Amino acid sequence: MHEKISVKNLKFFYGANLALKGINIPLYANKVTAFIGPSGCGKSTLLRVLNRMYDLYPGQHAEGEVSFDGRNILNPGEDLNLLRARIGMVFQKPTPFPMTIYDNIAFGLKLYENLSKSELDGRVEDSLKRAALWTEVKDKLGASGLSLSGGQQQRLCIARTVAIKPEVILFDEPCSALDPISTAKIEELIDELKTEYTIAIVTHNMQQAARVSEYTAFMYLGELVEFDETSKIFTSPTDPRTQDYITGRFG
Amino acid sequence: MTTISQTSKDLDMEMSSDRARVLKSLAFSDQLFSFATRAAAYAVLLLLAGIILSLIAGAWPAMKAFGFEFLVTRRWAPQLEPMPVLGALAPIYGTLVSSFIAMLIAVPFGLGIAIFLTELCPHSIRRPIRLAIELLAGIPSIIYGMWGFFVLGPFLATYVEPGIVWACADIPVLNSIFSGEMVSNLSLFNASLILAIMILPFITAIAVDVFSTVPPVLKEAAYGVGCTTWEVVNNVVLPFTRVGVVGGVMLALGRALGETMAVTFIIGNSFKISGSIFAPGTTISAAIASEFAESEGLHQSALILLGLLLFVLTFIVLASARFMLMRLEKRAGA
Repeated sequence: MHEKISVKNLKFFYGANLALKGINIPLYANKVTAFIGPSGCGKSTLLRVLNRMYDLYPGQHAEGEVSFDGRNILNPGEDLNLLRARIGMVFQKPTPFPMTIYDNIAFGLKLYENLSKSELDGRVEDSLKRAALWTEVKDKLGASGLSLSGGQQQRLCIARTVAIKPEVILFDEPCSALDPISTAKIEELIDELKTEYTIAIVTHNMQQAARVSEYTAFMYLGELVEFDETSKIFTSPTDPRTQDYITGRFG
Repeated sequence: MTTISQTSKDLDMEMSSDRARVLKSLAFSDQLFSFATRAAAYAVLLLLAGIILSLIAGAWPAMKAFGFEFLVTRRWAPQLEPMPVLGALAPIYGTLVSSFIAMLIAVPFGLGIAIFLTELCPHSIRRPIRLAIELLAGIPSIIYGMWGFFVLGPFLATYVEPGIVWACADIPVLNSIFSGEMVSNLSLFNASLILAIMILPFITAIAVDVFSTVPPVLKEAAYGVGCTTWEVVNNVVLPFTRVGVVGGVMLALGRALGETMAVTFIIGNSFKISGSIFAPGTTISAAIASEFAESEGLHQSALILLGLLLFVLTFIVLASARFMLMRLEKRAGA
C-alpha cells in the first residue's frame, strides 16, 4: 500500500516543552486515518506538523522526518504556501473568510490558477457539490459566508479546501462544534472524499473514528501507543492503555 | 427538625431586619451617588451646549457683517479702513489640505507598522517598537512644533523640496502642486509632515489593537489554503477589521484637523492660497492661535467664527465616520 506521508521519529517542541516524543506513523493513500486520545496527547499537534502550520508561531519547532511523497517537508527550504495548498486543513471551528460564499471558494483558486470566469464558476459549483452544499447555497452565492449555519459553514470550509485540489486533507475535530445531523453529513462526505484524497482526522468521538476510518492511531502523552486497522483497534487492541481508553476507563 | 428550622427561620428574620436597617442607612448615600453620576453626565451636555452658544454669540457680529461671503472670500485684511475684509477660504483650504496630506502619509505608514507588528515582527523587538510608538504619542505638540521649525523645516526646504521641484518641473499638474517659486522653511507641506508624524501613533495603536482581534484560527485557515502573509492581511485581516480601522483613521483625522500648536509654528501663517504645497499657508486653528491675542472687534469675532467652522468641520467628520461605520456593520452583518 502506498504511503502518502510517512512520519519518522518526529519530535515536536513548544519552546523547551517536548510535545511529541518520537512518532512513527504512515498515512496510506486514499485511506482515512483517525487519531484518538485524551486532550493534550499531541494529536492536533501532529496534524499541525503535517502542513507546517506551527511555523506561524515562533518558539515551536519539529525534529525528525515527515516525508510527503518521498520528500522531507521539514526541510527549511520547503515552500510553505505550496505545501499548504497540497495538504489542506479543516479546523475545529468553521472558519469562513469575511467574504461572499462564492469568493470563499474562488479566493483560494485564484491564488494558484489563472482561470476564466466560466472556469471559475465551474470549479466553485463543483467544489460546493462535493461538499454537499450546492443545493443549499446555489441561489445565494453572493451572500456572506458568515450568514450560513455552523454546519453549512463547516461544509463551506471543506468545499474551499477541496477546491484547490489538495492531495491530503487534515481534519482537526471537524464536527466538535456541530449538531448530529451536520456531523452525519460531514462523515458521509469524508467517506466520499477518500476516493480521491488521503485523509487524516483528529477526533474525540470514538464512534466517529470507528465509523469513518480504516486506520486508527491511539496517542497518549505525546507518544503513539498503538496504530493499526480500525477494526483491530476497536475489537482487540494489544496495548492495555488503548483498551482502557476505548472502553472509557480514562481520558 | 422543627426546632432547628424554627431557629434558623428566626435567625433569617433577624438577619434580614439587620440587612434592612443597613440598607436604609445606605439609601441616602445611594441616592446621592446616583444623583452625582447623573449630574456629571448631564454636565457634559450642558458644557457642549454652552460652548456652541458662546461660539455663536461671539461669532454673531462677524456673521452679520460678512454673511456667507465669509466662506468664499480669499482675502484676510483685518487692518483695512474703514471696514476690514475677512474671509475664511484660506484657513479652510489650509486645514483640509494639510490634514489630507497628513492622512495620505500616515495611513499607509501606520497600517504598515501595525501589520508588521502583528504579523511579521519577531517577539523580541515587538515591545520596543510598540513602546517607541506610544512615546511618540506622548510628545507634547509644542515640541513637534519647535523641532519642525528648527530642524525638519530647514532640512526639507534645503535638501528635499528642491529635488521634488526639479523632478516635477515638466509634468503638467505636478509642477504647480510642487512649484518651486516659494519654497520655504515654513510651508503647508512641512506642517502636513509634522501632522502625519503626530497622528501616526493613533493609527498604529488602534490598528494593532483591532488586528489582534482576528481569531488566529481564521488566519491559519487562510494560510491553510496557501496564502502568503500579504494575501492573508489583504483578504482576511483587513476585511475582518475594516470597521475598527476606519474608526481609528477618522479619530486621527479629527486630531489632524484641530491640531494647533505644532502647525502654528511651521505653517507660516500666510493667508494666501497658493497652488503649491511648498508655500506657506495657514489653518483655522493656526490663524486663531496666532492672531487672537491682538485682535478686537470684528476681527476677533471673525476668529471666533473660524473656531465655530472648525467645530462644525470636525463634527461632520466624526458624524460621517459614525455613519460609515454603521453602514459597514450593517453590510457585514447581512
